[in-house]
Amino acid sequence: MTWWWKSLFRKRALDAQLTSEVRFHIDELTDANIAAGMSPQEARRRAVLEFGGGEQIKEELRDVHRVRVIESAIANLKSAFRFIRKSPSFSAVIIVTLALGIGANSAVFSAINAILLRPLPFPNGDQLMKLSQHYTKTNGVPTVVAPVRLEDWNRMNSTFQAMTGYYTENSSETSGTLPEKLKEAFVTQRFLQVWGVSPALGRDFSPEEEHFGGPNAVLISDRLWRSRFGASPDVLGKKLQIGDHSLPIIGVMPASFLFPERDVDLWSAVPVDAPIAQSRRWTWYAVIGRLQPDVTLTQAQANLAAVQAQLGRAYPETDKDLGVEIKPLKEVTVGESRSSLWMLFASVTLLLLIACTNIVTLLLARATHRQHEIAVRFSLGASRSAIVMQLLTEVFLLAFFGATLGLFVAAGASKAFRTLAADLPRVEEIRLDWRIALYALACSIAATLLCGLVPAIRGSSRALSPSLAQASRTQVSARNRLQWLLVGTQVAMAVMLLAGAGLLLRSFRALGQVSPGFDASRILTFRINGSYGETADWKKLSQRIEQTVDALGKLPGVEAAATTGDDLPGVPQHYPTELKFVEGEQDPQHKMVAESRFVSPGFFGTMQIPLLAGELCRDPLLQPKSTPEDPSGMHHVDVTRIEVLVNRSFAAAYASGPTAVGRHLSVLGLAFLKPDQAGEIRGIVGDAREEGMNREPSPTVYWCMTASGPDPFYIVRTHSAQPLTMSGTLRQKIREIEPQRSVFDITPLEERIDDAFAENRMRTILLTFFAATAIALACIGLYGTLSYSVNVRQREVGLRLALGALRGQIVQQFLLQGLGVAVIGCLVGWGLATAGGRLLSGMLYGVSPSDLTTLMSVVLLVLFVAAIASLIPAVRAARLDPMRVLREE
Amino acid sequence: MAVDRSDLLQGTLDMLILKIVALGPVHGYGISQRIQQVSREVLQVQQGSLYPALHRLEKRGWLAATWGESESGRQAKFYRLSAKGRKQLQLEESQWNRLAEAIALILRTAS
Repeated sequence: MTWWWKSLFRKRALDAQLTSEVRFHIDELTDANIAAGMSPQEARRRAVLEFGGGEQIKEELRDVHRVRVIESAIANLKSAFRFIRKSPSFSAVIIVTLALGIGANSAVFSAINAILLRPLPFPNGDQLMKLSQHYTKTNGVPTVVAPVRLEDWNRMNSTFQAMTGYYTENSSETSGTLPEKLKEAFVTQRFLQVWGVSPALGRDFSPEEEHFGGPNAVLISDRLWRSRFGASPDVLGKKLQIGDHSLPIIGVMPASFLFPERDVDLWSAVPVDAPIAQSRRWTWYAVIGRLQPDVTLTQAQANLAAVQAQLGRAYPETDKDLGVEIKPLKEVTVGESRSSLWMLFASVTLLLLIACTNIVTLLLARATHRQHEIAVRFSLGASRSAIVMQLLTEVFLLAFFGATLGLFVAAGASKAFRTLAADLPRVEEIRLDWRIALYALACSIAATLLCGLVPAIRGSSRALSPSLAQASRTQVSARNRLQWLLVGTQVAMAVMLLAGAGLLLRSFRALGQVSPGFDASRILTFRINGSYGETADWKKLSQRIEQTVDALGKLPGVEAAATTGDDLPGVPQHYPTELKFVEGEQDPQHKMVAESRFVSPGFFGTMQIPLLAGELCRDPLLQPKSTPEDPSGMHHVDVTRIEVLVNRSFAAAYASGPTAVGRHLSVLGLAFLKPDQAGEIRGIVGDAREEGMNREPSPTVYWCMTASGPDPFYIVRTHSAQPLTMSGTLRQKIREIEPQRSVFDITPLEERIDDAFAENRMRTILLTFFAATAIALACIGLYGTLSYSVNVRQREVGLRLALGALRGQIVQQFLLQGLGVAVIGCLVGWGLATAGGRLLSGMLYGVSPSDLTTLMSVVLLVLFVAAIASLIPAVRAARLDPMRVLREE
Repeated sequence: MAVDRSDLLQGTLDMLILKIVALGPVHGYGISQRIQQVSREVLQVQQGSLYPALHRLEKRGWLAATWGESESGRQAKFYRLSAKGRKQLQLEESQWNRLAEAIALILRTAS
């Protein structure tokens, strides 16, 4: 290093030293000549002559000191190219192995980069926060926010630049021949300001358009612009017809703007001063805020807590028990995919490590053949570091080719990943850019060091190549031990991956075998668009939906029809509510929390959930209803008689069984019932896994409300095993009843339940694939090392056969050698798998991370495959012809 | 009877330099004089090979160099043997002796 330094930075000082060293020599020679009796001039001339060309010598000296980094790198590269050309199949194996390893790794990294690492695709995307309100008395879920409260927060806080809110609705656009379902986002003021995005075409909403009674205006998505208007620039000013409103288009949003939700087609402004928006009870908005620069999340939380406390004093009735929850929008968006992605990244990195280990064994075997070459280089005066550099350059060149090829693999893998993981958030942002290329390059450098360093250091060890004369076989044993160690490591890592895959597969199967408590087969689900405006007349809305359900139920081919609120049975969704019995005292220590579901009376018949006690809810069409006007809370159900059913778990947990029937339930906190309303428990039904197949049924209250919102899910049980074949009939019928509405989201219930576990399926498929590759690699490593060992010991085997050893003994010996390493690898892998199982703990169902059966079967599988991989070289050893071998030696 | 530079065996010069430097710190001029004197004028080392060899040995860490005043009062670069160099010298000496003995043996027995 010091030479480097000197030659690069102290070139001038070095030159001066060389000159004075040479001058000293000439001066001394001159003195000697003078002492021998020459004249000073003659003495000097002779001295210079004797010394030889001073400049030439100095140049030679400089040459000694010059660092030939670039020259030697080029020379190394040249020799590496020669090496690759000389052994094409060996190089191809390494390049392809690394290409697959680095490619798969880069593909998963590109997903991690896009989904987890990069900020949201907005200017200063990390400033964006999601805000919600929640009822502090219970551990209620955070909910959307009332419009006036949002305005209060926005006005009173000191930590946010601005806040905005939105909600979405499915609407029908009726200016075409058929009603077309469009997803419409209703947004408050400051919407585009908060996102920091402006329309790609046209303009933002004007202040008049954001006031009550102002002109209509709508922004459309890039997708709608292309599909409906052929990306024509004169789309501005054209009109869309939604319900009674004619909406002029004022702008087109950029294609990358996929918020608030991916499939929004329209954005329109909700006037903040609309009379309907003045209630503090009625919650509408998902709130997004943009933090001021340099404000931390904690500061914002403290600030908003203070603001809300102030509001609590001003409006004790509605705001006293409310809290504010703030979360980074990115975290909310990414959600639970984080753990899946890191788990996949860990496993694909393990795979790359196995691939590297495999290459190390290959290179070690190779190094034995190159001992001669290296010994020659040593004897020609090469330093050890030069040889190490040369060997590393070879590996780097291979790794570099591997990484380049790997980028193509990554492009393909990343496409497959996007298809497989279409439900992941931000998946459309995954792409291969220079970051991924850089990552692949970093991988190749890491792989070079991982794969190359050990073989290069061992291969260049002088102790191992002391002379040209010795044959390689004497040194085999020591090097072989390292190779076996590597094979064992591969087996251990493969066992770890396979155990993970096994656990995921087992829980996947366990999920499929769960008895959900309802029958999802032959059920078709869909929605019919409706607007929140309709909830102003709850009676009319209820009648409309009840009539539709009734008509659908009477269709030929349909067994039963019903509605359910925003949640479908078996699709994970939570709505915990705190309740109390109207009758009797309540133990304040014993909170009564249950899931709330909103269903039509026919729900239980349609889903085939059995009635255990009491009766079902009465059909609303047969019920007389009174509907008192309710100006304050239109969201509240305004029928006086509310009927509920509870599930078995609820009755068991809170009402000691059948005694629950006939009692009344009211809801605590801000909720869908007013404080003076209560529902009568009509009966008890069986437990069903409403919140997802992976969750035990929890206490649940079914509120019998056909119209819990403007567009509930319709569920129809058909006679056909392929319920989708009924969709035409259903569409036609709905067109007859409601010509202005569109039907959308037609999907069999079973498919929806499957989709809810799409992430589960994705990670199971990928991990299984990685594990299979890992096993294949480990077996190749085992096979290769054993074959090598057989090759090297040919002489010994031949000799033993000639002396009368049985072929069976030879087979047994090599088989046991291979299997012994596999067994040790399995044991270590078992330990690793148990330790690594924690990474999977949140993803398993019905199987523990240290499940004995899974681990046992994994080990047995690995041993079986390892036995086959060892058997081939072992048999080959036994088939050796002793005479031929001995003659050759 | 001066021997040509080309007649010096490859690697022999290094060994000679190490051997001479082993006697004590010495500058380049001194080394060339010493080789000449000790070999009774048989070996004459060209400066064109002496200095590159010195610098190479220094770079390998076998020699260490310091600047000091020579007997004549001039500034000169003095070379010393390092610990590594001492080891190298032993190695080369024993190799040389083995080789020389072997050659002598062949010459004796073959005649």
